[in-house]
Amino acid sequence: MSRTAELTGEVRAVGVSKSIDTTTLLRPVDVAADPGQCVVLRGPNGSGKTTLLRIIGGLLEPTTGTASVGGRPADERDPAIRACVAALIGTPTTYRDLTLIDHLVLVDSTWGHDPATSDERGQALLGSLGIGDLDDRFPHELSSGQEQLFRLALTLTRPSSVLLLDEPEQRLDTTKRQVVAGLLRKQVDQGATLVMACHDPDLTAALAPSIVDLAPAR
Amino acid sequence: MIDVDDRHRLGQADWIVGGEAARAARKQGVYAGYVLALFAAIYGFPLVQALFQTTDRSWLRDQLASPVGVAALVASSCTLLAAAVWAGRFRGPVAPPLPWIDLVVTTPIDRALTVRRWWRFALAGAVFVGAVVGLVLGSGLAFAQVTGVLAIAGGTLTGMLLGLAAVRLWLWGQVRSWPGSSRGWAVLWRLPDALRALHAESLRAHSANTSTLAGSALTGNLRTARLAFARPVRRARAARLRPGRPFGVLVRRDLLGLRRQPATLAAGAGLAALGGSVLIWGLTQPAAPPVALGLGMFPLYLGFGAWAEGLRLQSDNIGTPSLIGVAAVPEALAHLVIPAGLATGLLGAAAAVAVATGGTGTAGVAVAAVLTVVLLSGGHLLAAFRGSPPPTSGPQGMVLWYIRPGTIVVLLGATMTYFLRAGQVGGVVVTVLATALVLAWGLARVRRLTHLHRN
Repeated sequence: MSRTAELTGEVRAVGVSKSIDTTTLLRPVDVAADPGQCVVLRGPNGSGKTTLLRIIGGLLEPTTGTASVGGRPADERDPAIRACVAALIGTPTTYRDLTLIDHLVLVDSTWGHDPATSDERGQALLGSLGIGDLDDRFPHELSSGQEQLFRLALTLTRPSSVLLLDEPEQRLDTTKRQVVAGLLRKQVDQGATLVMACHDPDLTAALAPSIVDLAPAR
Repeated sequence: MIDVDDRHRLGQADWIVGGEAARAARKQGVYAGYVLALFAAIYGFPLVQALFQTTDRSWLRDQLASPVGVAALVASSCTLLAAAVWAGRFRGPVAPPLPWIDLVVTTPIDRALTVRRWWRFALAGAVFVGAVVGLVLGSGLAFAQVTGVLAIAGGTLTGMLLGLAAVRLWLWGQVRSWPGSSRGWAVLWRLPDALRALHAESLRAHSANTSTLAGSALTGNLRTARLAFARPVRRARAARLRPGRPFGVLVRRDLLGLRRQPATLAAGAGLAALGGSVLIWGLTQPAAPPVALGLGMFPLYLGFGAWAEGLRLQSDNIGTPSLIGVAAVPEALAHLVIPAGLATGLLGAAAAVAVATGGTGTAGVAVAAVLTVVLLSGGHLLAAFRGSPPPTSGPQGMVLWYIRPGTIVVLLGATMTYFLRAGQVGGVVVTVLATALVLAWGLARVRRLTHLHRN
């Protein structure tokens, strides 16, 4: 049995930037978010929103500056960071031979949750996103919007105190965006720290966040 | 009504779209044939010679003439032909470039003419490959004095006929990959009708599959190639993954995956049974040539791989935010449970049959089975977590990168089982240590690759 430190959700990025050779992906920026807070990253395409989220999630080393989660350096190799941060950045690889509910049960079980109620939790989460009736579908049988909702369900089914989301509104219609806004609001109200890149003014307004505007990178 | 000369129009289109491309393609085809013939002469013939020379001649002669031997040859040929039909579903013999399909195949020109060139390439290639393989095997048997010299002509002719049958069935598989009325057995004999039955969309899909496969091979992106050829899963939808402890649920995931993909389960079982039987035969029958030990390892390696989809999917997820709450190494070990268990069962069954039918060396066989499963596990960790190809490797480096895990398993497995069969304790100890090293190397690759993406 290994023991993992339980981190609180303070997110700090101080002067972080990313460059590869002579190409700048992200200009130096600061981000601060505490538990129960939502920060939205805004900026034109190519300004480095996804790069910043990857740095905060510990998936990428910044060229300058430091990023931390719960007071520890943001490094995905640290089991405590992995246990603390749930992220939807890019497309998670799904099992083509598992249905949606199987995926949620798998993720839920691997985090050591009560097996007796795993099915109900998965079903409830799918239902809250409006895709409860698709529980026995395989991922390749979903529309692009349904797929996005399923990815959100996958991200939300695992425990976390920090949520990093890269444009969670993409491919969703207006109604579903409101559903997602409600669900994310609930997560923040329950004490999660939410940092997300977002282009939707309504979703941004619904979460009443702090906003970090990123300057275009070159 | 307007009378038009399809051949004339096709010739004009050919010149406008392809220019000298057709002639260049023919030259490339001839060069590929030359390289194949060269390889057959330099590597194929000596290897086959070694195989037959190290086998008991009279025993082999008896086996070839026995009902079991004949049945095995017929079964191998039928498997080859079935594989041709199967391959035709994804990539048939007729796969012109996409611009040719969009600009020429879709015109009113007779389709049997517009796609005929690619059919002829495939036909010539299949018959040539069949002839070369038949010649190598026939001459191998004749030079080893297992059969008379007539086997050279017989082998060549049989190879050509098998190549011809395979390419016809390959085309039939391609025709059947698209719904339509002209898909029955009859199109096997009526070639122009078979070519006319090829739908433009189907041709596009097959051509795109060719590009995907070539692109994946060049960039080392094995996931894309796998997904391009994988059938969508729709079986056992009502079956549910039973929740439970982290390690157990990962094992059950793999089991459910195989239940929903019975073709993969069966393919793995077929390959592993073939490889396991040859390996155990090589270990228990004194007349068996030592090279059988290596020959058995290869299908065994492929069969194990068919059951190890969970391992490959874990590797596909490298670089994405973590969803699974289990560390990389325990997750990889959990994904090895099902393939290792199935391989152990099959090897055990093959060993039981061998012992029951009078084979020798029971203890050695049991040790070999256990070590082979450990080696296969290590080899598949190396294969699933092989990462990206070296950036400046060139074609040879790329090929080595692809075949390294399989080569390690086949060579080390053959050496280890050879020492076991010969009872050479020193050799056994060294190969056991090497096998443990392969497993440790595989686990180190899992750890290293899981965190390498960050930098």
